[in-house]
Amino acid sequence: MSRKLAIAIYAGTALFFALFFVYPIWHTVQEAFVSNDGSFTFSYILEIFRNPIYVEGLKNSFYMGLFSTLLSLLIAFPLAMLANTWDFRGKELLNSLVLVPLILPPFVGALGVKQLLGQAGALNSFLIDLGLMSADAPDDWLGEGRLFGVVLMNALHLYPIAYLNISAALANVDPAMEEAAENLGCHGIRRLWKITLPLIMPGLFAGATIIFIWSFTELGVPLIFDFTRVTSVQIFDGIKDLSGNPFPYALVVVMLVATVLFYLLGKWLFGREIAASSGRATTGRALKKASPAMSALCVGAFLLVTGLAVLPHLGVILLSVSNQWYGTILPQEFTSQHYFDALGHPLTLNSIGNSLKYASLATLTNVILGIGIAYVVVRTKLPGRQFLDAMAMLPLAVPGLVLAFGYLAMTREGQPFDFLIIGENPLLILVIAYAVRRLPYVVRSAAAGFQQTSVTLEEAAQNLGCPPLKALRKVTLPLIAANLIAGGLLAFSFAMLEVSDSLILAEQQAHFPITKAIYALVTSLGTGPHLASALGVWAMVFLAVTITGAGVILGKKMGALFRV
Amino acid sequence: MVSIHIRGLVKRFDEVVALNDLDLEIEAGELFFLLGPSGCGKTTLLRAIAGFHMPDAGTIKFNDDDVTQVPPHKRETAMMFQSYALWPHLNVFKNVAFGLEERKVPKAKIRERVDEALAMVKMEGLGQRKVNQLSGGQQQRVALARALVVRPRCLMLDEPLSNLDAKLRIEMRSEIRRICKEFGLTAIYVTHDQKEALSMADRLAILDGGNIAQIGTPEEVYRHPRTPLVAGFIGETNLIEGTVAFSSGDNVYVTTAIGELAGRPSDPDWQPEVDEKVVLSIRPECLSIEMSPPTQNAIAGKLSESVYLGEVAQYSLLADGHEEPIHISELNPRRVIRDADQALYASARPEDVILLPAP
Repeated sequence: MSRKLAIAIYAGTALFFALFFVYPIWHTVQEAFVSNDGSFTFSYILEIFRNPIYVEGLKNSFYMGLFSTLLSLLIAFPLAMLANTWDFRGKELLNSLVLVPLILPPFVGALGVKQLLGQAGALNSFLIDLGLMSADAPDDWLGEGRLFGVVLMNALHLYPIAYLNISAALANVDPAMEEAAENLGCHGIRRLWKITLPLIMPGLFAGATIIFIWSFTELGVPLIFDFTRVTSVQIFDGIKDLSGNPFPYALVVVMLVATVLFYLLGKWLFGREIAASSGRATTGRALKKASPAMSALCVGAFLLVTGLAVLPHLGVILLSVSNQWYGTILPQEFTSQHYFDALGHPLTLNSIGNSLKYASLATLTNVILGIGIAYVVVRTKLPGRQFLDAMAMLPLAVPGLVLAFGYLAMTREGQPFDFLIIGENPLLILVIAYAVRRLPYVVRSAAAGFQQTSVTLEEAAQNLGCPPLKALRKVTLPLIAANLIAGGLLAFSFAMLEVSDSLILAEQQAHFPITKAIYALVTSLGTGPHLASALGVWAMVFLAVTITGAGVILGKKMGALFRV
Repeated sequence: MVSIHIRGLVKRFDEVVALNDLDLEIEAGELFFLLGPSGCGKTTLLRAIAGFHMPDAGTIKFNDDDVTQVPPHKRETAMMFQSYALWPHLNVFKNVAFGLEERKVPKAKIRERVDEALAMVKMEGLGQRKVNQLSGGQQQRVALARALVVRPRCLMLDEPLSNLDAKLRIEMRSEIRRICKEFGLTAIYVTHDQKEALSMADRLAILDGGNIAQIGTPEEVYRHPRTPLVAGFIGETNLIEGTVAFSSGDNVYVTTAIGELAGRPSDPDWQPEVDEKVVLSIRPECLSIEMSPPTQNAIAGKLSESVYLGEVAQYSLLADGHEEPIHISELNPRRVIRDADQALYASARPEDVILLPAP
């Protein structure tokens, strides 16, 4: 590729980032510091810390992030250790099944959790049937403030990210490092603590960071649980009176700063990069053959975790086919009516169409940007290309809510980007919003493809008379197609399930994507939750198909997509 | 410091037999080498002694202790890994101190012994360095110090020099041998570099197919290989097939495709019978080049290639009836014969022509 073209791509993507990543953040930040008369003020921020409701929200958000992260690690770590020590029957299958919860929409799952763990839920009914609980005073498992339910749902959704990161880190540890410790008398838990854990800490931290940022700013799950005292929901509620109220902006800024601070603190504590020593690993990690008992334990652990993680969604499926489900273990009556109703409802068909449209356009944008960025980063020597690479990964680290809010602010009437809302249609800004947040996955997978494909293949084509761009199209792109498809599928799935942008940016029913339609149905009366579940099930079936495809194509390399 | 006694050791990996009923005795304080082509089982044997492979059958004893079932962290061996396996999250001092901490040595004592060990490998004052700030040779020294500092019952070295450049490798050879001898360590050293083995070993074992092909001092193994494989693996050699014609005195006369050659059996206890098939091994440096027919062990042929290496000239001679060229090395050559197709003769003294049983 010519240098001119590379520079053009660089400039184009940098401009895209400046307009749709830096500017919305800047716009939001700025609003938080400008008073009504246009002068600079710190008072909104200070007011946040004076208002006990906002402070409680921040505290709860922090707990939500911290506990979700810890629980995710607690689930993922033992599994990753088992999978990286033992060879057992059915491992390949279990290894991919255990990742499935990542693409099950968590805020749909939250409906199921409420149904299972609520006061009149399935668990209580079960315990009452067993005589272990009094029917008059059932426990509320979700607890005061609903934090437990939210954390549980987040962890069951996000642990695959930790699993992928820890597995990748473990696989990269030279087995001789552990053998050397063993050889010098260090064994078992001590060895894990003194050698293995420090060596995988960067990978563990990378996973934990994403989980923390994700759950610290999670909007969909607390909304469904009606857990209003977290910052994300407070921001969302604040939009309703957006014009006059500066506090949502101030809250967004506080959240953004907190995210950065927690990230830096974590990086300082755990994430210091360890450069591998120069000696090359001589033996691959040999997995031990599991005895029948150990095999059973491994399979059991994987099935237990996967089972627990899909339980909320099973609850959703049951809910979607039930007429009556209150105070019993299983629904009293079954019906398929909700599926037909869901498809006949004015909200649903429309929203499915909208989501498909938004997500496909966003994915297309991602693939084009992703190829461009990855090419510049991997194949050129352009100065500053690492900067482009780092920038492309940043959206992983910035809360979706912050960006969504920025997009909303910059497309309001009278703002420089109000032309992106055509009439009342948020199509363009939603596509951009979806694309920016998912770009890292596509860039990573495309870059991996370029790295694995020797540049000499392309040079050979050029040498035989093929012009550079044509060589790229005819030789390299077909070779990295698998990576692009996998990255694209992942981006597509996440776009279909997007919550913050969808809830905040789509204001008219006619333009609702699936997630906002589900949210609208949940909050409506009557059969709303059942319809929402049915719609959720449609969405999940859809995603299961795409992500299985991605898993099959990408195999073990999936882990590379979830690193900052 | 222990002597090591191995009896009937068997290790299988699925269908592959890595160690096949192997017996071995290693004496206390000995620098013992395991040598052989890749896949011969040498690393498996080393790892079995260290406890990383549980054998399927057989016993391993350190002195009189049966350690066959003892897990690696209780064997008190110390291994130097091919990749060094220095822990990147610990500095040099911490790496070396690790084994002492595991052995609950008091803090002050640890400092003293680590400093001593670092001095021993000429790394004094570098304790606070990060591992990735060290050169390959320095990493190798730290790995050695880490293994030595615990005063192991047995030191294990798994191709420790294979990641170093040629000059450093030669330097480290004598260094490792010096340290082993100073400590009086029992050491087992795996390598595929025959020069390393010949120059350092007290004794060495050549492994083939999971079993020991030959065991002995470097001189014994080099000068009296017992099988064609050993002869070919240690040093260069010319292997010529033939049948025994008759014996006379110490010499056995063998009929080969390139004429009758007189040699001596590699094993003095073995008297090959007339008509028995044998293989002759003649090292290139044992052959001399002659312009006129020599009286004994004459090999006639045509010169096909000559290579001048300074201290040595190497000739290839195409002898009638033998497919492989016969290699000849002439030390301190005054004049290199370069005329292609020149008719020449090679000859060797009967004591340098080794009779081996045909495989």
